[in-house]
Amino acid sequence: MAQPVRDDAKPVVDASRAAAGTRVDLDGVSRRYRIGDVTVTALEQVDLHVDEAAFVVILGPSGSGKTTLLNLIGALDVATEGRVRVGGQDVTAASRSERARLRRHTVSFVFQSFNLFPGLTALENVQFGADVAGRAQARQTAESTLAGVGLAGRANHFPHQLSGGEQQRVAIARALATGNPVLLADEPTGELDFRTGVAILDLLRKQAEAGTTVLVVTHNREIARVADRVIELSSGHIVADGPPPGGRAPVSELHW
Amino acid sequence: MRTRGLLLRWALRDLRRRWVLVTAIALVLALGTGTYAALLGTSDWRRASNDRSFELLRMHDVRVTLSEGLTAEAGTLAAAVGRIPQAAQVQAVAERLILPTLVDVSSAGQQVLVPGRIVGMPVDAPVDRLSVSSGQGLRAGDPAVVLERSFADYYDLPDAGTLRVAGDRSLSYAGHGQLPEYFAIAGGGGGAFTTEAGFGVVFAPLETAQALADAPGRVNEVVLRLASGADDGAVAAALQQELDAEQLASTAVVKGEEIVYRTLYEDIEGDAQFWRIIAGLLLAGAAFATFNLTTRVVESQRREIGVAMALGLPRRQLAIRPLALGVQISVLGVLLGIGVGVVTGRLFGGLFRTLLPLPVWEQPFPYATYLQAAALGFLLPLLGVAWPTWRAIRVEPVEAIRVGHLAARQVRFTPLLRRLALPGRSYSRMPLRNLVRTPRRTVLTSLGVGAAIATLVAVFGILDSFTGTLDDFDAEATRSAPDRVTVQFADVFPEDAPQVAAVTGAPQVGDAATTLLVDGTARSAGEEIPLAVSIRDLGGGLWRPTIDGGGADAARSGIVLSQVAARDLGVQPGDRIELDHPQRTAAGFTRATTTIVVGGIHPGPIRAVAYLDRSQAAAFGTSGLVNALEVTPAAGVSRDELTRALFAVPDVASVQAATAVTDSFRDALGAFTSVLGVAAAVTLLLALLIAFNATSIATDERARENATMFAFGLPRRAVVTMGVVENAFIGLLGTAVGLGLGYLFTRYTVEVQLHRTLPEFGMPASVSPTTVVVALALGVGAVALTPLVTLRSLGRMDIPATLRVVE
Ligand SMILES: Nc1ncnc2c1ncn2[C@@H]1O[C@H](COP(=O)(O)OP(=O)(O)O)[C@@H](O)[C@H]1O
Ligand SMILES: [Mg+2]
Repeated sequence: MAQPVRDDAKPVVDASRAAAGTRVDLDGVSRRYRIGDVTVTALEQVDLHVDEAAFVVILGPSGSGKTTLLNLIGALDVATEGRVRVGGQDVTAASRSERARLRRHTVSFVFQSFNLFPGLTALENVQFGADVAGRAQARQTAESTLAGVGLAGRANHFPHQLSGGEQQRVAIARALATGNPVLLADEPTGELDFRTGVAILDLLRKQAEAGTTVLVVTHNREIARVADRVIELSSGHIVADGPPPGGRAPVSELHW
Repeated sequence: MRTRGLLLRWALRDLRRRWVLVTAIALVLALGTGTYAALLGTSDWRRASNDRSFELLRMHDVRVTLSEGLTAEAGTLAAAVGRIPQAAQVQAVAERLILPTLVDVSSAGQQVLVPGRIVGMPVDAPVDRLSVSSGQGLRAGDPAVVLERSFADYYDLPDAGTLRVAGDRSLSYAGHGQLPEYFAIAGGGGGAFTTEAGFGVVFAPLETAQALADAPGRVNEVVLRLASGADDGAVAAALQQELDAEQLASTAVVKGEEIVYRTLYEDIEGDAQFWRIIAGLLLAGAAFATFNLTTRVVESQRREIGVAMALGLPRRQLAIRPLALGVQISVLGVLLGIGVGVVTGRLFGGLFRTLLPLPVWEQPFPYATYLQAAALGFLLPLLGVAWPTWRAIRVEPVEAIRVGHLAARQVRFTPLLRRLALPGRSYSRMPLRNLVRTPRRTVLTSLGVGAAIATLVAVFGILDSFTGTLDDFDAEATRSAPDRVTVQFADVFPEDAPQVAAVTGAPQVGDAATTLLVDGTARSAGEEIPLAVSIRDLGGGLWRPTIDGGGADAARSGIVLSQVAARDLGVQPGDRIELDHPQRTAAGFTRATTTIVVGGIHPGPIRAVAYLDRSQAAAFGTSGLVNALEVTPAAGVSRDELTRALFAVPDVASVQAATAVTDSFRDALGAFTSVLGVAAAVTLLLALLIAFNATSIATDERARENATMFAFGLPRRAVVTMGVVENAFIGLLGTAVGLGLGYLFTRYTVEVQLHRTLPEFGMPASVSPTTVVVALALGVGAVALTPLVTLRSLGRMDIPATLRVVE
C-alpha cells in the first residue's frame, strides 16, 4: 500500500554527463582502525565492482562496515589495504586535493541526518551542490532540481522551517544538483516515517534509471527489494551479492 | 556521591580537550584584569613617591619673587618675613638669586645651547634642599655649581665638567642634582612651555650667582616653610604687602599653586581618570569576550545536559560540569591576571622612573586594587557560565535534547536573512548569514573587539591631539620670518640703549623688531588668569599672529587674547577685561590695573600668550621700553651662527628659535611612545585573542557544516575564506564601534580632563588618519586573518567521524 508522494517523479537530472563505463571498483580493500593496542577491522578484503546506472543497496547489521565502505567510495576515507577506483580514478593514491576534486565532480552524498546548512534557504542549499560542482547556470539547475523533488513552493524556506522528509528531499536535491555520476546515500530513510521514506526511495530509484550510479546503505531488508543488486555485509566481509531474492519489486510494493 | 566524582572527572576531561581554549579565554580575562589593576595601582605609588620626595627636600610653602629686573640687598627679604603678622608660623626662610641665562654645555659630540636659569641658593638651605643624584653637591667656599639632573641625563652629560652661561662666563660643575621646583620642567616662566631638553637649570652657591650677575650681596627671591596648619595664602599676601611698602613689586606663589607641585599631583588625578577609562575599556572588552566564549562553550553542552536530565540527574549536579569550566577559567584567569598585572606594573614603574626621576621612588604593591581586579576576574567567567547553565537546566529535558543537531537550530531574523541574498555562489552568502543567524554572539564578539580598538584609539588620539596642536603652533609661528630668533634681555632697556644696539648692530643680524614682554593678570566676571603680554608692532614687524574677529584696526586698539583665555574669561572681541600689569614709575615698577577692550583672538594654544600693539604702550607707562628683540639672520648666516653670536652679547638672557617651544614638546612626547607601545601591544593581543577564541569556537560549532562542505569537495581554503570574510565583518563592526568610542574618549580626555589639569594649554581633540588606519589594520586585518590558524586543524579533520556524530 505504499504510495509515492509523487507518482510522476521523474529523474531530475540526466546523468548523461557521466561518461559511459563509470563505475566503482574495489580490489582487495581493507580498512582497519588502530585505537591504542587494539585494531578494529571495519572492512576485510572486499572486492566490489558496480556498473553505471545501477541502483545498489548495501545491507547489513549495525557495525558491519556499511558506512566505512561508502566513505571509501566517496573518497572521504582512505583504505588501509587494496585499491579503490571511482570513475576509473584511483582514490587510494590520490592526494588530498585530488580527492576533494573527485568529490566535487564524481560523487555526491545524502546523509541520514540531512546535514543541510541552516544558514541557507532550501534553494540555496541545492544551489550549493551545483555551485561546488562548478555547474554553469547553478541557480536555474537548483530551481529545477528542487521542483523535481516537489519542493518548488518551499524554495525560500530555511531548513528549520521544513519537516524531516522535506529536509531529506532538499538534501537529495542538493546531491543531484551536482550532476555527479555517483550518488551515495547513507541510511537516507533512517530518520523518516514509512511514507516519507518510500517517497525518498522512489526519487533515488528514478535517478538510477536516468543513469546515475546510486549506492544506498541500509539495515532495512525491505528496502533491498527495490534494488537492482543487493550487497550484504557482515563483520566487514561481503557475504552475499546479487539481485534481490524474488526479483526487483516496484517501490509501490514496499511496506515495513 | 559517586556521580559527582564522575562529573568532576568528566569536567577534567573537558579541560584536557580544550585547555588551549580555556587558557586563551583566561588570558583575555587576565589581560583585562591585570592591566586594570596595574593601571589603577599607579596612583597609589605615584602619590606616595611624590609625598616622600617633596618632604625629603623640604619643599617650600610660599615663594615670593621680585618683579623682573628688581633685586634687594641680602637680608631685606628675610627681614620683611620677620615683620609680617604671621611671622611666628614661619619655620624656615631662604633667600635666593634667580637669573635667567643661556646654558651652553656643548662638547665635541653635541651642540647644546638652551635658555635656562641660574638658581643662586644657600649651600645648606633649610628650605628647598638640593638632592644630589651624582657627583658632588654645593659646598661652602667652592664656586662649583650643580646641573639639574633631568637636563644632564637628557644630554648624557658627565658628572663633572664645565659649562658656559650668558655673558660668555665659564663655570665648572661638580654634580647633578634636583630641587623640588624642578622635579618636572613644566615651565620656563612667563607662560612659555618647555621641557628638560630645552631648559637648563644650574644650581649655584649664592655667591657664585651674585658674581655672575655682577650683583654682589643681592637677592631677588625668598622661600618659606610654614608650620602645619598655617594659611599660606595669607602669609604670601602679607609678605607681598610688606615688600610693596619698600617699592619691591613681587609675585607670590604658594606650594599648591607651584606648577610642578600641581602638575605632579593633578597629573596623578588626571592620569587616574584616563587610566580608569582605559582600564574600564580593556576590562569591558575582556568581559564581553569572556562572557561570549563561556556562554558558547556551555551552549554546546546543552544537549548532553538534556540527556543527563532525561536520565534523572538532579539539577544541582547538572550544573557541575559547566560550572567547573567557569571555575577553571576563573582560577587560571586570576592567576594569569596577577602575572599580567605585576609585569605591567613593573613596566609602568620603570617608565615613570625614567620619565619623572624623583629623588625617592616607592612602589608598594597595591593590594586593594589587585583584590578588586581579582574579584572581578573570578566573577566574570562564573557569571558567563551561570547564565547559560541556568537556561539549560531550566528547560524540560525533551526541549534540551532537541537542541542538538537533529533539529536545525531555530533561526532568528529569517526575513532579514532572506534579503541577504547576494548574487553569486551560494556559499558566498554563508558568512553574512552566519553572523545574522547568531546576533548575540556577533554583537558580543564585535563589542569585545570594539572595546580593544577603542582603547587603542583613545591612547593614540591623545597623542594625535598633542601633535596636531604642535603642528598648528609651528605653522602659526613660521607664518613669516621662519628663521627668526627671539632674544630676551636680562633686564628692561630703553629702545636706544647700547645693549639693544649691540644686538641690532651685530653683523650676523638681518632685520630686527622690538618687543616688551610683561607678566599680567586678566580678570573678567570673577574669572582670573595669568597672562604673558607681548607688546609689539601688530601692524608690521617680522611676525604677527593671525587675528580673528574685530579686524586689524580693532586688534591694535585692544588686547589680543588666545582662544582658551577668551573662553575661560568668557569674553569675545569687543568685551572689556581688567588687566593687572606692572607700571613704570620713577622708582621702578609698581602694579596697576587697566580696563582694556578685547581687540581680537589669536589661535595659539598657550593660554597665557597675549598681544598688545605698541601704540598702547603709553597706557602702561612702557613707551620706548624693550626687553626682547626678534631678529632674523643676515644673508648667508645660519641660525646657529646667529644664536652663538648673540649669546656673547652682554645682558642677553636667552636666544630661542621661533619653534623652540614645540621642539622641546615633541621631545617630551617621544617619551610617551613607549607607553603607547605597551598599550598597542596589549590591545593587539587582546583583539587577536578575542578573534582567535571566537574563531576556534565557531570552528567547533560548525564542525558538522564544515565536514559536509568537505564531503561535497569544497576545498579547505574556501572554508577558511568564509571564516575570513565572517571575521572581517566582525572586525569591521567592532572597529567602527571602537573608532567611535575611541574618538569620544579622546575628546573627553583632551577637552574635559586635560583642560582641567592643564588649563594653560588649549588643545582641540583630533584623531589622525594614521590612527584610523592602524585601528582598521588591527581591528579588521588581524581579526579577519585569525581563521588562517584553523587551516591546519581543518586539514586534520576526520570527516567521516565528524559526519557520523549522530548516525
Ligand atoms: N573512526 C573509527 N575508529 C574506530 N573504529 C571505527 C571507526 N569508524 C568505524 N569504526 C568501527 O568499524 C566498524 C564498522 O563501522 P561502520 O562502517 O560505521 O558500520 P555500519 O555503518 O555498518 O554500522 C564498527 O565496528 C566501528 O566500531
Ligand atoms: Mg553506518
